[in-house]
Amino acid sequence: MQMIQAVLDGSASAAEVEHFKLHMDDCLPCIEGYKLEKSIKDALQVKMEKKCCPQSTVVDIRAKIGFGLVLLGFVVAEVKLYHLLFSC
Amino acid sequence: MEEEIIEIERYSEKEKYAVFDKEFMPHIDSMYNFAFRLTNDEDDANDLVQDTYLKAFRFINSFERGTNAKAWLFRILKNSFINDYRKKSKEPSKVDYQDVETTYNSVEDAEMDATTDLRTETVQDMIGDEVANALNSLPVDFRTVIILCDIEGFTYEEMAKILDIPIGTVRSRLHRARNLLKEKLKSYASSMGYKTDEMAEQD
Repeated sequence: MQMIQAVLDGSASAAEVEHFKLHMDDCLPCIEGYKLEKSIKDALQVKMEKKCCPQSTVVDIRAKIGFGLVLLGFVVAEVKLYHLLFSC
Repeated sequence: MEEEIIEIERYSEKEKYAVFDKEFMPHIDSMYNFAFRLTNDEDDANDLVQDTYLKAFRFINSFERGTNAKAWLFRILKNSFINDYRKKSKEPSKVDYQDVETTYNSVEDAEMDATTDLRTETVQDMIGDEVANALNSLPVDFRTVIILCDIEGFTYEEMAKILDIPIGTVRSRLHRARNLLKEKLKSYASSMGYKTDEMAEQD
């Protein structure tokens, strides 16, 4: 069953994939097992809600590492550059 | 995390913010979803994601641009959860990590395989909350491998790096985790009146 799971997960070795292709059709429990494993994997991927990170958390993180200060620095630098170029 | 610090200054201050923004921030929803599935609490997930991103920024020089940022971040989050969060959690894990390792290493796979008679159709009929409840009822280290593999789509190799365990252990732990999940789904299905093989045999 570990081999079937590895094939389903896309992490099986080439030899395991080959073995799976050659013998799968002859093994009814393997076919049933594969279908069940796939249905569970699909249910986990598709049916479960994907939680998104709240925007407030994104803002907090950016604030804590000083993104605001960096942006402010860029704005100040641009304003200074503007004055330098066009004040004459 | 601390032992992995590379002392070289890989990035300038400006580059640090660029790397953070372009390589780390696109994964924040996946990171939050992982944190939520680990903690089962939105506030705790927020704290865990924030801690992880602040650590990622602090140790950004140990990240090589162009390598797998998502796996790198997940590893930090997992370590933060185990080392920091679980110690101060409002609701500590009910099962000690080492106890779980010992327990599942002593369980024979064949024995567990034989106990599951969950039907494919039953799983297909279940709604998301029912699947989530079954997943949430697993010990955290079993839950972790299933989330990483089935929800986040990491390869076994990536999972081995995130969890700091050999690939063979990833395979066996995932196998055991799935067997346990099947048991949970089966008992949940029975309690909710879904048809299982046991019930089908009685018809």
